[in-house]
Formats: sequence, C-alpha cells, structure tokens
Amino acid sequence: MKYNKLLKRILLIIPVVYLLTLALIYFDVYDKRPVLSLFKKTQSDSALQLVDFSVDKPISTKIIAAPNKDRNAYFGDVHVHTKYSFDAYVFGVTASPDDAYNYAKGKGIQHPLGYEMKLQEPLDFYSVTDHGFYMGMIQAYADTTTDISKNDFAKPFHNLNRPENLTVDSAGERSAIFSSVLGQAILNPQPWWHPSVLKAWFTRNTQLALKSFDYTVHKSAWADVARSANEHNDPGTFTTFIGYEFTTSTDTEGGNLHRNVIFNSSIAPIRPWTRIDSLNPEDLWTWQDGLRDKGIDTISMPHNSNGSNGQMFEMETFKGGAINKAYAEKRMRNEPVVEITQVKGTSETHPLLSPDDEWADFEIMDKRVGSRPPTYSRPSGGYVREAYLNGLTLEFSNQGNPYKFGLIGSSDTHTGAGSYDESNYWSKVGLLDGSSENRGSAPLSEGNKERMDNYMKAFNQPVSTVKFDEGEYANTGFTQWGASGLAVAWAEENTRDSIFAAFKRKETFATTGTRIAVRFFAGYDLASIDLSSDALISQAYDKGVTMGADLLNDNNQAPDFLVWAQKDKNGAPLQRVQIIKGWIDSNSGTPHEKVYDAACSDGLSVDPLTNRCPDNGAKVSITDCSISQGVGSSELKTIWNDPEFDPSIKSFYYVRVLENPTCRWSTWDAIKAGHKPREDLHETLQERAWSSPIWYIPAISDITVMPLGGTISLGDS
Amino acid sequence: MKFKIFIFFLIGLFIYIIDIGFNSDQNSKDIFISDQEITSLISAWKSQVGRSPTDDEISRIITNLIEEEILYREALLLGLDKEDRIIKRRLAQKISFLKQESLVDKPSNNDLIGFYNANKDKYYIQPTFTFKHYFFSAESNSGERSQAAYKKILNNDQDIKSDPFFLGKSFSESSLDEISGNFGRQFSLNFNEVILNKWLGPFKSSFGDHIIFIMDARAGYYPPIAQVLGKVEVDLVAYEKEEAVSNYINKIKSEYKVIINPNLKFDE
Repeated sequence: MKYNKLLKRILLIIPVVYLLTLALIYFDVYDKRPVLSLFKKTQSDSALQLVDFSVDKPISTKIIAAPNKDRNAYFGDVHVHTKYSFDAYVFGVTASPDDAYNYAKGKGIQHPLGYEMKLQEPLDFYSVTDHGFYMGMIQAYADTTTDISKNDFAKPFHNLNRPENLTVDSAGERSAIFSSVLGQAILNPQPWWHPSVLKAWFTRNTQLALKSFDYTVHKSAWADVARSANEHNDPGTFTTFIGYEFTTSTDTEGGNLHRNVIFNSSIAPIRPWTRIDSLNPEDLWTWQDGLRDKGIDTISMPHNSNGSNGQMFEMETFKGGAINKAYAEKRMRNEPVVEITQVKGTSETHPLLSPDDEWADFEIMDKRVGSRPPTYSRPSGGYVREAYLNGLTLEFSNQGNPYKFGLIGSSDTHTGAGSYDESNYWSKVGLLDGSSENRGSAPLSEGNKERMDNYMKAFNQPVSTVKFDEGEYANTGFTQWGASGLAVAWAEENTRDSIFAAFKRKETFATTGTRIAVRFFAGYDLASIDLSSDALISQAYDKGVTMGADLLNDNNQAPDFLVWAQKDKNGAPLQRVQIIKGWIDSNSGTPHEKVYDAACSDGLSVDPLTNRCPDNGAKVSITDCSISQGVGSSELKTIWNDPEFDPSIKSFYYVRVLENPTCRWSTWDAIKAGHKPREDLHETLQERAWSSPIWYIPAISDITVMPLGGTISLGDS
Repeated sequence: MKFKIFIFFLIGLFIYIIDIGFNSDQNSKDIFISDQEITSLISAWKSQVGRSPTDDEISRIITNLIEEEILYREALLLGLDKEDRIIKRRLAQKISFLKQESLVDKPSNNDLIGFYNANKDKYYIQPTFTFKHYFFSAESNSGERSQAAYKKILNNDQDIKSDPFFLGKSFSESSLDEISGNFGRQFSLNFNEVILNKWLGPFKSSFGDHIIFIMDARAGYYPPIAQVLGKVEVDLVAYEKEEAVSNYINKIKSEYKVIINPNLKFDE
C-alpha cells in the first residue's frame, strides 16, 4: 500500500516537473527579466556549431599564375538556387548544386522544359545560395519514400518533378503550391507541451518545433550544398563559396529583406540561420559576429531592395527604433556589398527618385517580391543611390552611416543556371517562365489562354491577360524581369580568400550580365599619370584610392578621378562613361545628386553646359536586332574633375558605363516567335556596369565607420 | 447416401462447366490481396498516426485498397493506359532505373585504365603560354600604327609607342581558354603555331591590334592516370550507367519495326 502511494507520487511529480520546466522556459522566452536568465545558460546554440565540410582532393600539380598586384577582374554570380530551394523545386527544377557549378564552368545543363542552358564563356566564380528556410524539405516531401512525405502537408508535392510532370501546363498548379508553401500551412508548430518544443528551445533551433520539419533532411541538404562548393573550388581557376539565402521580409507589408550569405572557408555551421530563427536582419548580423568570433568570416548581401516596399534602406531599424552608430557599424561589418541588379529588376534608382537622370528608367520592377496579388512596392527606401544619400544624411545627424556599401550584380536564377544573355533568355523560375508565352513576350496560343487563366487565379491576379495588336498576352509580371546580372571583383588571384577580400573592401562592380570591365580611382595627383603608359594602373594604385574606399581631404585640394572602361569583347561597343555624384549640403544635410558624362565614344566630347555627350547615332534594328557597325568604342579612358567640387562637402562618386543600345530579351523573344515586340515594353536597352562608390570625406572626424579598403593619409593636417 | 453426394457433385460440376463457358474471363475479376500488402499499409498508417488502426480503420484501409484496384482494372479494361504519355514515361523511367541500378560494382583498375585511355582528351592539360605584347587601341587607328610599329621592330628600333592594355602587358602561363577569354576567340588562334622569342603580328583582337612576343610555351600533356584517378572513376560510373540503358535499348530495338509517315508536313 505504502509502495503504491510512493509510485503514485512519483508519477504525479513527473508531469508537474515537466510543466514547471515549460513554464520557466516560457517565462524566459517571453519575459526578459534577469532572474531567470540563469536558465539560459543551459541552452546551446546549434547555429554556431561548426562542421568542416572540406573534401579530400588529390593535390593539384597545376601551375597557378602568380598573383597580380594590379588585380584582375573576376566575373561571377553569387546568387544561384537549385532544387534544394523550397520554391525552385516547386518550379520544376531538378538541377543540383553540382549541376550549377558545372554550368558556371561552361558545361551545358538542362532547363526543366528540356532545352539546354549553356554559357558563351565560363565564369570565374559562383556560389549556390539556396533558401536556408526549409532547405531540402520540399524535395523530401516530393519523394514518396521518405517518412515526412507521408504527412498531409506533403501530399501536394508528391512526385512533383518526375519527368512526366515537367510540363508548361502544370505552371498554374505549381504556382498555387508555391503560395501554400509561403502560407502558414506547413509552418504549424507542435503543441506547446510536445518534447520537440523543449528540444527546440534548448538548442535554440525553433524549426525543430515545427510539425513539417525534418532536421536530418535539412542538414543533409545543407551538407550537400557545402560539399559541392568545396568539391568544385579550384584555386587559380574557379572559385566557389559555401552560401545560402536568408529569406526574410517585414511582417505585415511583406517588404523583401532577402540577403545572401557566403562563407570564406570550407568550414561552416551545421545549419544555416534562417527566417525561422528570426525575421530581424540584426539577429542575422549577431549570428555572423558570433561566427567571426569563432574564426569563420561571412558577408551578407541584400538584394531586390526594389521589391522591399521601401524597407531595405529605411531611415529606422527593423523594429522601428532610431538608427545609431552601433547599428551602422554592425550593418557595415556584415554587409559590405549590395546586389544592385538581378533578374527581378535593377535597383540603382527610380524615375520618381531621380527625375533628372535620363537613364533612371532602366529595368524597373515595381512590385513587392512574392506578393499575391502583385502589389506595388514604394520606391523610396528601395534604391541604392537614394540609400547612399540617406546614409550621408544619417551621418549628418550623428547616427552613423549604415549605407556605405559597394555594388555587385547576380542572377537569382532558380534553375541553377544564370540567364545573362538577352538573345538567349530563360528568366528565373523554371516551368513558370521558361517559355516566351508564359513570360508575356509572345502572344498566347488558343489552348494556352485557359491555362493562363487558371494560372493567374492561382497567382491571385485579377487581370490574367492583356490585349495588343499582335494578340493576347499573359499578364504574368515576368515582363518586368530581365537578363541580369554579374558580380565582378578586382582581386589579385582567383582564389576564395582573394575574391572574398575584394568583396570586403568593396573593390567590386556590377554589370547587367555583360562583361564590361571598369577601373575607377580618385586621388590628388592622378592627372600627372601618363594615360598611355603601361604603368598606368600601378601608378593609380600608388597615388590614389580605388572603388569602395574613402578619399580624405588633403589641404582642400580638388581630386582627380581616373576612369577606364573596356567593352565586353562579345558585346556591343561602349557609348559613354558617366560619373554619378551625390552629396549633402553642409547646413542641413539635404541630399542632392547629379549625373555627369565623363567620356564619350567615337572621339566626341562632353558639352560642359549640359554635362552630356552628343548622340553617337548608334541604332538597333527591331526586325532582326542587328546594331550599327563602326559606332561606339572598344575602350574609354579619361581623367575627370568635378566642376562643382567643394572640399567641405561630404559626397560620393560612382561610375556608370553604358553600352550602345541593343535588343531587350522581350524583343528577341517576339522575333523568334515571328511577332512584333509588345508596344508597352522597352524594345531596346543599354547594358551597363556600375562601380562601387568612392566617398569623399572632408575631415577625419567625419569617419564614423572605418573603411575596410585603403585610404589616403591626411598628411600632417 | 453416397449416391446423393455423387448427384450433387455432378450438378456442381455441371454448373461449374457452364460457368466457365459463359464467363471465361471471370478469373481476372479475382482480387488477391496478400498479407504483406495489408501489413505494410498498416505499418505506414501507424508511422503516420502514431498508433495502431482500429478494426474499423483497418477495414477502411482495405476497402480503399480494393476500390483502387477495381478502378485501376476497369481503367485497364477501357484501355485508358494506352497512349497516355505520363504512364509511358513513368514505365520507361522505371525500366531505365532498373537497368542503371543493376550496375553497382566498383570499377576495376583495368576498367579505369581502359576508360582513361579511351577518353584521354577529357583529361588533357592545355598548353600554356607566357607572353608580352604591344597593344594598339582600336580607338586610335590601330591598324596603321601597329603596322608601322612592326616595321620599326624589324629594324631593331626599340622606341615603340603603344597603348596600355586594360588587362596589362605581360601574361604568364595562360591557357588558350584564358587567352580567348581575355582577347577573344579569333586572337587565340594565333597561338596554334608558336615561334618563341620573336615579335609576331600584328594580330587583331576585339579591342585593337597586338604585336606579341612569346617567351615560353609549355606543351599540353596527358597527366598520368594516378593524378586524375578520382575524376576518372566518377566519369566511368556515370558513363556505364548511360551505357547500360542505351545498350539495352539497342539490343531490343532490332526486334521492333518503326513505321513513320514519310509525308508528314509540320505546321509552321
């Protein structure tokens, strides 16, 4: 009898202790009072646990070229999705990270619709950056042999990408599935008393508490991404980075705050830090700082600020607090570069933000990323030129400059293969936009109209087609997407360390997919350099600073700027080189901007009144996309001086290089389909490159964030 | 008594024969459900729900199974499987997997050597060139200037006025692919026949004209198999898998006669 009583008591104690533990934890999670923080020490941080993913490879006997101290331009793409991304898999993509790296090295791989995707010229570096969120999970849902696929939420995905299911017809259904993934359907947590909730808390790994999550599958997908990157990394020839996308957004407005994270090592954490851990980018930076303390260096790179509803480059923090110097330093420590251009539009500036810039209306994508129905994205706060200006204003009000970043481009392809060529374009999302009818550049055939209606219903879009002279077109929104872009690093050699270092010191530029290369220097004695000397570049490095760096005031002298641009050897000739200046006035911090043409093609000279080159007369034929021959330049080189320079004014300068006009992909598509191009789309565009800025600093006391690149010393002053 | 049983037996036999006669295909309407099939369904149910199914639930599982089988058979009877691309592809895929998976053996050393020898070009290390050049930009009359400069060089005149090239003056250990990447395909063809330590040109690139001086050329070579063994093995396994399927197809292709309308016109 007595024994029984004891047993009863014990049995009673177990649930009570369990409940008490849970109660304590909930206090600790929702109530930050220090009384309970003792309990926090029992937590381990799974996202900071490191794994060495390096691959055993035979020692290469290959001769590697000596590092070039004048640096080479390496072209790459650091924004590539494969089948491990929850959405790419839904789009019919079966390309693995290995396929993606093979593509970058010049091999052809297959598009989900069956045609070959192949680069005209291989790339120098590449990083597969699948969505960290639910990485590898959708593939596991689709594979009916896994345990997790037997759940209800996994049913819609079953056998999704079997070859027989890879059809254009399935686009509508796929889109609907995609929306449901984004929705809450699969994000249901286990009930609060479930042991996995406890485990999630103790290892700071929220996703463990989700019903639809399988940690083993997730970890193995991530391990495969890391293995593949290490496998394909070939110092001297081809560089890869372990990477992933931190796919966060603002809560109610759905403002896109996506960032790609890349690692400068073959060691990486056991799992990526994702939006399930936190939606707040500041927490991402805290995690990156934590990794850096452990010797793992990373950078994160924001993209599609154009679709952020003005929230990527806000004047306040994620939680609505004031930006301060600590915030600015933390952001700049972790986010030295921003992706200015990619398939979902270009984020340099917007016609509403830069009404005096004739080239501002370029590949504008004015919807919030992933919004259903497609919803307008407010321009202000979403474009890099304005962010540079706002950064100066924030600095003026003594809050630090969180927007002192360099520029890169990348593709954001979801097929493993970046689409950079207007004349050979497959867009981004596999089956959804892999054909010209689906992306709205060729009229819909009879049978396709009904499909498009279903598809648009899934997209929650009220108007599914638009009518023009040539017929009825899909109103998919894909017409605002484009064949862009590339990241270019000025690095001593093609190795992970060297290219990563270039990213950190912002010695980078972005292109819209073309292989334009551009040098940019500023200094006080650059005019003395002989522009026809072979030592031109080494002298420029000696006497000045290059893109991404700060130029400090030197006895109020006016600086010289040296620009040298070379055309893409397979692309159109160059039309002009421009310098874009932004500054704030020293009374109120009011921002201003101005676009100066610095060098013109065909020996033409800049009109000093308008700061514009005369028209060089380059034309494009809309019937066959041929361009004028013998017009434009193979290279443009000049020393430029700011006609309105004031040594007391804080400013930045960046270069924009423009090619002669060529056909846009939508025009190529229309011609291939035997139609006239749609009259509401730009028929031509000017491919371009943007350098990272050089910031002019009037006084040393103005530097609130120490630049990572070189600076010119102030001398004795 | 025994006779009565015999009568019944005869009647039974009679009915049986008539039945066979009238419903000769009746046998195909039997549905056999094996114990294994049921237990595997039940265990799948268990792993999903976390408990054993009740009797009711078991009978529902079995009913579903039966109904699925019936619908499947009726569909077959109606010929719904015919000319269905999805079913065709699925079956084709199944048999390809089957043929691929029958090969799981690790390739032997002899296989590897054989494969390496047969595919040597895949592992070829490209020749490299160390060279410098005078560049004449297309921006300023490069054709004439480069011709004049070349004449000067022939006359041992060292005072050559050339332009700086964007990627520099000297290139070391550049492969043909790298040269083609930096100067364009056309220009790289000039390295097919190499004369060392002599000014050559002028040669056209996408950017202007060049007079080149090759200091060193390292011949291309086939690396010893030991250096590329890992890659050879991966390639061989992939090759064998593809081979297995195509061999299989080729083997049975001869048994088929393909008939295609030779006069078919495609709609443009």
